[in-house]
Amino acid sequence: MVQFFYFHLMPWPHLPADFDRRHETSWVTFSNQFYDPQRGHALYNEYLDEMEYAEALGYDGLGVNEHHQNAYGTMPSPNLMAAALIRRTQRAKIAILGNAIPLRDHPLRIAEEVAMLDVMSGGRVISGFVRGIGCEYLSLGVNPTDSRERFYEAHDLILRAWTEPGPFCFEGKHYQVRYANIWPRPLQQPHPPIWLPSQGSTETIRWGAQRRYPFVSVFTSFAQTKRLIDEYKAAAETAGYTAPPEQIGFALPTYVAETDARARDEAKPHMLWLFRRGLKIPPHFLLPPGYITEESLRKFLAAGLRPPAEMSFEELEAGGYVLVGSARTVTDRLKEIERQLGFGLFIGGGRTGDMPHDKALKNMELFAREVMPHFKQ
Amino acid sequence: MAHRSELLSVAGVRTHVLRGGRGAPLLVLHPELAAHRWFPYHDALAARFQVFAPDHPGFGETERPEWITGVDDLVFHYVDLLNVLGLDRVAILGTSLGGWIAAELAVAHPERTERLVLVGAAGIKVDGVERFDVFRHPIEETLLHLFHDPRRAAQLLPTEIGAEVIVRGYHEAASLARLSWNPYLYNPKLERRLRRIAAPTLVLWGENDTFLPPAYGEAYARLIPGAILQTVPQCGHFVPFEQTEPFARHVTQFLGAAR
Repeated sequence: MVQFFYFHLMPWPHLPADFDRRHETSWVTFSNQFYDPQRGHALYNEYLDEMEYAEALGYDGLGVNEHHQNAYGTMPSPNLMAAALIRRTQRAKIAILGNAIPLRDHPLRIAEEVAMLDVMSGGRVISGFVRGIGCEYLSLGVNPTDSRERFYEAHDLILRAWTEPGPFCFEGKHYQVRYANIWPRPLQQPHPPIWLPSQGSTETIRWGAQRRYPFVSVFTSFAQTKRLIDEYKAAAETAGYTAPPEQIGFALPTYVAETDARARDEAKPHMLWLFRRGLKIPPHFLLPPGYITEESLRKFLAAGLRPPAEMSFEELEAGGYVLVGSARTVTDRLKEIERQLGFGLFIGGGRTGDMPHDKALKNMELFAREVMPHFKQ
Repeated sequence: MAHRSELLSVAGVRTHVLRGGRGAPLLVLHPELAAHRWFPYHDALAARFQVFAPDHPGFGETERPEWITGVDDLVFHYVDLLNVLGLDRVAILGTSLGGWIAAELAVAHPERTERLVLVGAAGIKVDGVERFDVFRHPIEETLLHLFHDPRRAAQLLPTEIGAEVIVRGYHEAASLARLSWNPYLYNPKLERRLRRIAAPTLVLWGENDTFLPPAYGEAYARLIPGAILQTVPQCGHFVPFEQTEPFARHVTQFLGAAR
């Protein structure tokens, strides 16, 4: 049994015609004057409609996420979108993938908000924790050299706030609270599930496996996804258990149409938008100083990976960055990936990049009706 | 000119120091780039002084202990270094980041500071005057912004390129970020404290500095009692590297005046 999550980035698709030529990035310095709140109003509503529809189509969960100050994803507060969805849905899990905890000045605010969402939803919340991407340390003025320490410390404080009778005193290096005592407390016991969506340093993967936090590999090649998941499984074995499928997830932009040819035709511009425009990020924004360890940087340089922004659609397909085809093709490929990765969580996208609403709906319907059932027996 | 390289233990911190020349001791604090190398400007200074040029923690060959997170920690580190070197009072010269450290050192320890030379010093903020953001640009672009004549930037390029050079640069950038990501290249408290500097002070600035524009030099000269401001024509932020001869002349004149 695979659980399917309908994942949304809520991108800003209306880039200027000369974007490719004139703008080095869609992040950090790409002016918010290119955002039009009137069109934004319509978009947010379409996006939320799609997510509500996903529940009706039988998706197990709805995924929201946090990104700041860019056209890639206009969801600086995933908790707000989770709140909007909770009151309009009944059954689906609401997966926050995730809150970028080191970017917030106060982790207790996240502990409180997620507890609120959990109580409001009757225990449907999944709480992912992420570090945020490098750009966001520029956009929010947080020191990237503190990112890891803040991540672990914020996690520890949130977990204690959810599980320990308050008030208690927390005196860390980055956060100090003498009377931590959150109201409300979460409904799920001992706490809402914590997931770890990540592009995966060895250290983070080991840390997550030790705590049995489901690992979700995000938007990378199949080879890289497999490497990360294998690393996670090995870390679980070292920690003394075998990671079950429910702990293994991956996120993959997916598009289904009536035939392979039609799917490719229809999906291509939007998939390219995601990688060439949404993820147009120069290295000095992606990896601000200290954001990754020197060990990770060495590995990254040694791997000599080509940035997906430079790849053709065919290369993205072949590399497993996207999954596009008829229901049959997509099912077969997912079965094969399932065999190789043993995943139990699939985070698919219905509306990638600048895809219009009607294509997104058709894609979701075909995926839900003709692909998902094959993984539910 | 002859110089030598030493690794010292400074209160447990492995510290790399280049030293050369004869005369009165001069502590030379490097900018955010260009650690670890003996440049022509060192030679020019060593002709008249005994030059001590340490790598800051997290730069060159000096290690970066976890507890060093701010310029105040570097002040303690350099007082320890002076003790290890057996120097009671020294003239201190610092460029950019090094100038910031020098200013803080002279504020906290007037008794150790014989004379002070601030060259394009970071450390304060002048409202309304735009600075160059080193964290927002790739290193190639930053290098060009440090010089009035970008051709002069070539001397700072690494002699070879490869993964280890990139990792090394990333390490030093992280060291800088730990000290000054936020607030960016200044200490909000320093401006008010500068009146405590007792040493005769020379503030030296490139006339065409776009990294920290000359308004910063003017502010330093105004805030430090009795400070002299000299600007160097045809010169960007990295004065010692771009206009080595006029730089050395100003410094020697100022430091030598009392001797």
